Amino acid sequence: MKISLNWLKEYCNIPVSAKELAEQMTMLGLEIESMEEPGKEIENVFVGKILDIQPHPQADKLVICKTDIGKGEPLQIICGAKNMKAGDKVPTAIDGAILPGGLKITRRKMRGIDSFGMMCSGAELKVEEDSEGLLILPPETPIGEDIKKVLGLDDVIFDIEITPNRGDWASYIGLARELSAYYNIPITLPQIQIKEVEKSVSSVSSVTIECPDYCPRYAGRVIQNVKVAPSPDWLVRKLLSAGQRPINNIVDITNFVLLEIGHPLHAFDFNKLNENRIIVRLAKENEEIKTLDGELRKLKANQMVIADAIKPQALAGIMGGADSEVDDNTINVFLESAYFDPISIRRTARAHNLLTEAAQHFQRGADPEMVLWAINRATALIQELAGGEVLQGILDEYPQKIERKFVKLRYERTGKRLGINIEQNFQKSILINLGFAAKDETEREVNFIVPSWRHDVTLEEDLIEEIARFYGYDKVPNTLPKIRQSSAVFDASFKKIHNIRTLLVHKGLTECYSWTFSNPEIMQQLKFPDNYLNMVVLQNPLSKNLSTMRTSIIPNLLATAQKNHLEDTISIFEIGPVFIPDDKNILPEEKQKIGILLSGYANPRLWCYNERKHYDFFDLKGIVEDILNMLSITYRIEGSEFPLFHPGQSLKIKNQNKELGYLGKISPKVAHELEINENTFIGELNLNDLLNIPLKKKVYKTISEFPSTSRDLAILVDRIIPVADIYTSLKTIGEGILQKIEIFDVYTGEQVPKDKKSIALGFTFCSNEKTLTDTEIDALVNEIINRLQKQFDAQIR
Amino acid sequence: MIKELEKIKEQAIKKIEEAQSTDLLEQIRVEFLGKKGKITEVLKKLGTLPAEERPKMGSIANEIKEIITNSIQEQYQIILEKEIQKKIEEEKIDITLPGRTCGIGHMHVINQVMSEITDIFIQMGFQIASGPEVETEYYNFESLNTPDDHPARDVHDTFYVKPGVVLRTHTSPVQMRVMEKTKPPVAVIVPGRVYRVDNDASHSPMFNQMEGLLVDEDITFADLKGTLMYFVHKFFGEETAVRFRPHYFPFTEPSAEMDISCTVCKGKGCRVCKNSGWLEILGCGMVHPRVFQYAGYDNEKYQGYAFGFGIDRMAMLKFSIPSINLLFDNNLKFLEQF
Repeated sequence: MKISLNWLKEYCNIPVSAKELAEQMTMLGLEIESMEEPGKEIENVFVGKILDIQPHPQADKLVICKTDIGKGEPLQIICGAKNMKAGDKVPTAIDGAILPGGLKITRRKMRGIDSFGMMCSGAELKVEEDSEGLLILPPETPIGEDIKKVLGLDDVIFDIEITPNRGDWASYIGLARELSAYYNIPITLPQIQIKEVEKSVSSVSSVTIECPDYCPRYAGRVIQNVKVAPSPDWLVRKLLSAGQRPINNIVDITNFVLLEIGHPLHAFDFNKLNENRIIVRLAKENEEIKTLDGELRKLKANQMVIADAIKPQALAGIMGGADSEVDDNTINVFLESAYFDPISIRRTARAHNLLTEAAQHFQRGADPEMVLWAINRATALIQELAGGEVLQGILDEYPQKIERKFVKLRYERTGKRLGINIEQNFQKSILINLGFAAKDETEREVNFIVPSWRHDVTLEEDLIEEIARFYGYDKVPNTLPKIRQSSAVFDASFKKIHNIRTLLVHKGLTECYSWTFSNPEIMQQLKFPDNYLNMVVLQNPLSKNLSTMRTSIIPNLLATAQKNHLEDTISIFEIGPVFIPDDKNILPEEKQKIGILLSGYANPRLWCYNERKHYDFFDLKGIVEDILNMLSITYRIEGSEFPLFHPGQSLKIKNQNKELGYLGKISPKVAHELEINENTFIGELNLNDLLNIPLKKKVYKTISEFPSTSRDLAILVDRIIPVADIYTSLKTIGEGILQKIEIFDVYTGEQVPKDKKSIALGFTFCSNEKTLTDTEIDALVNEIINRLQKQFDAQIR
Repeated sequence: MIKELEKIKEQAIKKIEEAQSTDLLEQIRVEFLGKKGKITEVLKKLGTLPAEERPKMGSIANEIKEIITNSIQEQYQIILEKEIQKKIEEEKIDITLPGRTCGIGHMHVINQVMSEITDIFIQMGFQIASGPEVETEYYNFESLNTPDDHPARDVHDTFYVKPGVVLRTHTSPVQMRVMEKTKPPVAVIVPGRVYRVDNDASHSPMFNQMEGLLVDEDITFADLKGTLMYFVHKFFGEETAVRFRPHYFPFTEPSAEMDISCTVCKGKGCRVCKNSGWLEILGCGMVHPRVFQYAGYDNEKYQGYAFGFGIDRMAMLKFSIPSINLLFDNNLKFLEQF
């Protein structure tokens, strides 16, 4: 909300500078978004009177003016504008003047003739958005006066953020009320003088409220024979300072009163109201109204309208109707001032996406006791500016009186909540200054009557906040609490996940962080199985490709690989949730996953590496194994049929029947479609399942005092036999004496038959009880050989 | 015989001095002192001498033997020294070449900051809590004293999933989930992703927050200020100024916003702080009685504070990152800077 300091000072005499005021308002909860001095840059611009206008002999579009600025000889000024005539008063920048934006005006020749200054438009002085021609000032403006004073540019404009709980702040008088309470200075309200004619308003009109829950109070006045015209300058300028466009004196007055007191008003063209009467009622289903913005709106049965005898004439509290708009031909005005239920206004405004100024005020809660003040203020101004006869009396329907609330304050609670003791009298005086009235007072507590404008105060804590605000948040000490934890556990995995993250970073991977949005098309393109297409769908997504929540991290990683395709090595991972719809629950299941992607070169281009190696399947498998080993998880490996992967280079990891994850080389087809490196390896692990597996308990094993012995063995087996089978089979030999099996070479190629592979195995034997003899070891090696021959048809080489 | 011995000695010393390798020295040792060496040969002839001359000749021979032995020893040391020197010379490398490593990776800047912040609060005694990102309106709004018709909902720009289900707009719903799970005392922090329908240069539809909740019998507003000031001093440095301004949140009363002195201009006023010298970084307050009511906590017996702030903003301030969108763009040239 834009607030002019000059205007604010009309209601209370603020005792501090603009800068101090800004700081103090901030510390009261009125956040200053910006503070501008509109005339700050303007220098040496005065009111000038054009005495004479002559054509320029060398230019058709220019004229030579003589302008009197009240100092010395009139100035000769060349001008390109057309809207002025001799006798007009205009802003005149003299030699050496500065305009907004820092533009400096100097004497110069224009088409051969000297110009000693410049006459200004409204836009050039930044008082209008854009201008056609010079800004013509009212004839009574004194010649030679500083233009900043004339146009009210010697002002400070604050842009204040009003929090949604403090609708009462959103007006000049509302702010003045707060500041007068804080600075303990009086507030001056404008004098209201209305001259009513004898004819009573009830003789020509009436108000009926059919929905008192929605509209507890409705007041109306009728003013006859007004003269609709443009508003005077002071009013126009005030509206402009608030960023509002002037329309005509009647409408402008209602807008002005809204700015002044924060109470929205509406003026109807009285003659356009059927039967000249007002019915406040709920709309009929599908009833229509054309609002002031020209929209034809279909209404619902829970939306309140201000109707005449036949049809809706306004969307109550939100926007007037086009059919009863005050225009240049309006003679008689019906002025409305009402209190509407905030929730009903909010619902209707939201339904029509019509959050007008009026709606914003009403939805935050207007002041039901300000209804009459506001209507009288506007009536007096109409009479002053538009003339007319005010009919006697107000049609004030108030079927549901809104009672003042009582809130009890126990003085010691203030200290208990805030952590500082504030003197009782001081507590009380703060609230009294703010308009609260003490009732039922005892030594330790008071019942306060809440002012009618303070809808936000309903609890003792609200009073404590008021006291804290005025006492000063900065004066509350800073103490460190004694922190006691609950015995419950709310997140057991945060630390473990962080350890995995740290492991991967130390292994050289870089962590990504993506939006968790996705879309079904990308999942199809990547050939994910159907269950991944069952996604959480957003009703109002940012775009089609961000329309669902992801079911896998892999698409994010592939997108990252695509985005960074110019890098020669990509080794990345991401940890985060995926979302799986759950038919049995209202909320989807959220699973933490970890995705890893390797692509390009495995080692850097560095003097010490002879050649650059491409990442392969086992680089990724090794990383995944490290994670599983770090968590001490037992697992087994199976081939994977995931269509995203190369069928010969993919696997899934299982623990019992739970699938913990999968990894593999991207299928050449998908790589081709995505235009990414074919040597791209991706894996995804389900962290929740990993972290839920009970840990293998670690128990100390005796370290043998006796020497160990190693034997190597090279065997030839069918190429299709998985090494893991051989490993598993041999592991059981020797009752703990065979301590380690290493697979130190696997060879296929020219040196062995085509369907065979050669495997080199290293065995380490050691006993905890004695030094093993050659005979004992030979016996074990023989057992190994026998088993290899029997189970795998192995040839010993 | 003495002459013969002297001659051998001279011969030997000459050879020794000329020898340039340990191998050669060994040969010389064998040649003169070995079982069939020249000195030995001479000594063998000792028996042919008259008995009275034998001891004298014997001692002379032994003396020469010792001289040769010592001289070999000396020369050996000299050669060894030279050989080591030579070896050292040969093995000299360019120590300025980079070491052999594939490099370490980079933790995402958000998680670096998240980890730093959680560490500070964990040391103070807070526990970590978490909750769902797809959340019910009940937890996200209603139980936090923000009913459907509340104007405060306007600022949230909520993503809707279905009636009653939203993407959480803040981490605050976890407050209620935690309080439902346990009775006071409660001391938790909640780091996590949150979502709002907003996407421009300074907004991302997904961003990160950290929530804090402390409830016990005597937790005060002064404690809230003290805790957050401690955090700011740990995270941004002791010299950082802190101020608390009244503000409004439906789920706290009294409520406050916390500003810190601008980390760029140190409070003098600059573009980043819009010339105010302050940066708004956090919202907080004492837990609203109606929130306690939803949680089933006795407002007369317990009191507590809650706070929430943007982790992304903390990271941006800490590392001078100009736009939030850089954080989620996954450009390796960005990620590898941190």
